[in-house]
Amino acid sequence: MSGTEGFSPKIVAYVCNWCTYLGADLAGTARLEYPPNVRIIRLPCTGRIDTNMVVKAFEVGADAVLVSGCHPGDCHYTAGNYHARRRWMLFRDLLEVVGFDMRRIHFSWISAAEGRKFQQVITEITERTQALGPYRPYEAVPARPQCGAGASACQPAAAADFPAQTKLRETAARLLSEGAVKVVIGYGARGPVFITKPEDAARLVWNESCFANLTTYLKRKEVGALGKPAVVVKGCDERALVVLEKESQVDRAAVYSIGMACSGMGQPKCAACDTHQPRFANETIASDGAPAAPPVDRYLELDLLLAKSPDERLAFWTAEFDRCLKCYACRQVCPMCYCERCLADKNRPQAIDTSPHRQGNFAWHLSRAIHLAGRCVGCDECTRACPAAIDLRLLNLALARAAETKFGYRAGMDAAAEPLVGAYSLTDKEEFIR
Amino acid sequence: MQNLYKPDLMEVIAVRQHTADVKSIGLRFLDAERARQFTFRVGQFGIFSAFGAGESTFNICSSSNWRDHIEFCFRKVGRVTEALWQAEEGDTLGFRGPYGHGYPFEEWRGKDLIFLGGGIAMPPIRCAIWYALENREDFGRITVVYGARTVGDLVFVDELAEWAKHPNVQVIQCVDPGGQTPEWTGEIGFVPTVFERAQVPADKAVALVIGPPIMIKNTIPVLERMGAKLSDVYTSLESRMKCGVGKCGRCNAGPVYVCKEGPVFTFQELQAMPMDY
Amino acid sequence: MTTLTQDALRKLVAQWMAAGKVCVGPVRVAAGTVLFQRLASAGDLLLDGWLRPANSIKELVLPRHEPLYGYRADRNRIELLDPPETVPEQIAICAHPCDAAALPILDKVFNWDYRDEAYNRRREATTVITLACTASDDECFCTSVGLAPDAERGSDAMLFDRGDGTFGVRTLTDNGRAALGDSTAKSGKTNPPPVKFDLFDAARFASRHFDDPFWQRHALACVGCGACAFTCPVCHCFDIVDERSGHDGMRARNWDACQFPMFTLHASGHNPRHTQGDRQRQRIYHKFHMYPEKFGETLCTGCGNCARNCPVGLGVLPLVTEIPHAEPV
Repeated sequence: MSGTEGFSPKIVAYVCNWCTYLGADLAGTARLEYPPNVRIIRLPCTGRIDTNMVVKAFEVGADAVLVSGCHPGDCHYTAGNYHARRRWMLFRDLLEVVGFDMRRIHFSWISAAEGRKFQQVITEITERTQALGPYRPYEAVPARPQCGAGASACQPAAAADFPAQTKLRETAARLLSEGAVKVVIGYGARGPVFITKPEDAARLVWNESCFANLTTYLKRKEVGALGKPAVVVKGCDERALVVLEKESQVDRAAVYSIGMACSGMGQPKCAACDTHQPRFANETIASDGAPAAPPVDRYLELDLLLAKSPDERLAFWTAEFDRCLKCYACRQVCPMCYCERCLADKNRPQAIDTSPHRQGNFAWHLSRAIHLAGRCVGCDECTRACPAAIDLRLLNLALARAAETKFGYRAGMDAAAEPLVGAYSLTDKEEFIR
Repeated sequence: MQNLYKPDLMEVIAVRQHTADVKSIGLRFLDAERARQFTFRVGQFGIFSAFGAGESTFNICSSSNWRDHIEFCFRKVGRVTEALWQAEEGDTLGFRGPYGHGYPFEEWRGKDLIFLGGGIAMPPIRCAIWYALENREDFGRITVVYGARTVGDLVFVDELAEWAKHPNVQVIQCVDPGGQTPEWTGEIGFVPTVFERAQVPADKAVALVIGPPIMIKNTIPVLERMGAKLSDVYTSLESRMKCGVGKCGRCNAGPVYVCKEGPVFTFQELQAMPMDY
Repeated sequence: MTTLTQDALRKLVAQWMAAGKVCVGPVRVAAGTVLFQRLASAGDLLLDGWLRPANSIKELVLPRHEPLYGYRADRNRIELLDPPETVPEQIAICAHPCDAAALPILDKVFNWDYRDEAYNRRREATTVITLACTASDDECFCTSVGLAPDAERGSDAMLFDRGDGTFGVRTLTDNGRAALGDSTAKSGKTNPPPVKFDLFDAARFASRHFDDPFWQRHALACVGCGACAFTCPVCHCFDIVDERSGHDGMRARNWDACQFPMFTLHASGHNPRHTQGDRQRQRIYHKFHMYPEKFGETLCTGCGNCARNCPVGLGVLPLVTEIPHAEPV
């Protein structure tokens, strides 16, 4: 891992215009020498620095990245750096789980007066990176196929109906014939169904194949055109409703939720579930079945992954992401992916390459994961939907744990809690920022 | 190895700005041999590219008789056209083509020609008008009705004036009500209305109608009232395209690939196609 | 040799790989998922315990990402760089008849007047060794589109699973004979799936019921991903992109899908297919009406991948079998 002959590291520094950029300028005018290895990219504020820019720097061959801005309290835009700090707290955990070399990713607060600090930081980063050698994360050798637990096949096996199915059909028929709702979004024999007539309620099923998170249909205009919906939700799905309401995507009063108490669908997430009972539904249908087993530690699989070295983790994720086709099934089934125009679909600028090559796949999955930080409710539909069996669950768990351990936050559990991303605290921990 | 998707390299020899967001660009082939052998039929299109931004589909809006260069005209609406907007003389762009069917001028011989266009739809008509004027004896009376929302949206205005000077050619320009300036001497009204006012006989004519769907919808009945048969009324369809050669599967309007089996269609053909365009 | 043991097959695969050929076969990538993948070693080849992989072998002739040419930009001068002329020889092992038959079907569009040499080069470099099916599941419908568990179309050689760890071998073309020698074993019991719909009914409905509300109703559950199109052996729609970094760049083609909302979006904002129902209709229309009209081939081999991969239980078979029950307009 030592530097090769003639290796001169390339460092990319994303800096804010008002503090660090001026600090760099000051270093120049004060004739404080620092290594020429750094390419400075100036943005208005650290709050503007998208996490995919950090990844992009590595895509184009950077050996280390620095992100630097105003000290907390000094932001030209008042709170931009607070937002940035919270984002970085979560993003670092994600990069670590994916196996990036965290010794090459640096954060700092450098003010306009701190020309010397700029000199010191750049010099130190350059020396350290020189010693580490060139960084080629996209040349990692993919890990051999692994056969850990994966989500069940998409097609429901012939599943025995749960007893609550009868009650569910009655409820749906009643709501429709009373005119309380115009459509019931529920589970059918093969997948989601949209029941508009009371006599069709018999098409609804409630069994071990009821995987889908039906709240994702609440954002669809074709579904909205049918009229006021009732939506069948399990306890895990219901958390999505809480988040959607918090983000003003759903008017809770305009949706009737039929909660289904559930003992599990045999998915990996079910063993760790602690929301078997819906908590906010308009009406809840009790289980009548065997009670659920007590939940196992929900971060078990994540711990297994973290037991590997960073290089092993990177090899694992390289193999996973190499299979990605960019079919966007993960995005399309996710209730939280409701942006009218996804970042990946924008081309001015092209923030994420659309091509399903290694760089494009890493960029996509890292972006999506961080955009879901503090919002993903762990329904794991993305994992189940992926036709290439990419273990997206682990990415979601990485950020869920970051949210829980650092902020005591779990998306969709407390309707009154302040959102995680989009808010900030003056006391967010910044031991990783120099 | 022949590469279907590899473009010809072209040098920008002229850039003309027509409106606040419309330019036309003249290109010549960098490869002299290719320039010598290149021919196309008026009405065909090309896929023009700005390296670093991507490719975009435009009609070749110059006459096929102009052997030394080709032209295309575009509105600045997205990533590729923004990059094309920055092009200056001497820059290199890419060109793939010519693709599609052109206008069937052989079938139009001896007929009157009626050209009806709206706004940014003038370029695919412009090439046809020049071609017709360059083969004047082959055609009868030529009528052009061209309109835009405002005076500032009209393109190729100097050529419109030139065409009117040719024998037996009538050129009517119009702008939407409210789009006129105090100096405007042309007509005021939508293209279908202005065309009807002009009472141009269409029973011995072939018409080329290109414009936004609402304009086309209202123009067809006027043409029929003036005696035209729908099999003699033509249009050029737009579609989102990528390959241009009938392979990428995206541009079909019902059963036809607009790139390979169009883009020129008669309205009789269009009527048989489902609303998939 | 008319019979191959599993070991002997793996030995052959190892030899092919040592000779520099790219070998693609079923590989277990997760507990419940088997995919056609490029083999890193002959031991990765999975020879039993699966019905059919969740993807197809079309990657061999139409890669998901294929550089078309590169370019170098120096101020306003551009230099175009051709991709490599030759492609390595590739062998698909244990494809199914529904995978193999896809290739002659795709040949038609990629050589429709304009010859796509990028496709043709890969096609010529590909040998397909097919494993005849001995079982099917509810999603299979090859027999409804004119194929069979031991259909030979598109195959260079066919293996028949004898159930005892050995395969009968039947070589069909020169490529097949080059790989496996001359061999004429016969097919065994195949248990074909029953015919599940009338192909002509499906084509007729697709062509005559363009505006039927059936499409909109049926597509309510569709989330608009590309899982069906990308795992389909014959879906071939693609995008062309320009990726530039500094002075260098390249143009590539990537898989695309008619199910994506932006697929037909014009720069003006107009979208001819602006509802998911329009887009679902396009899929069926293309497969069962447009492609047969133009090329005499149904653009579907009945493999069932679309339905197995669809996260919400849709797919060609569920849709087409629902058509007769569609309420009249």
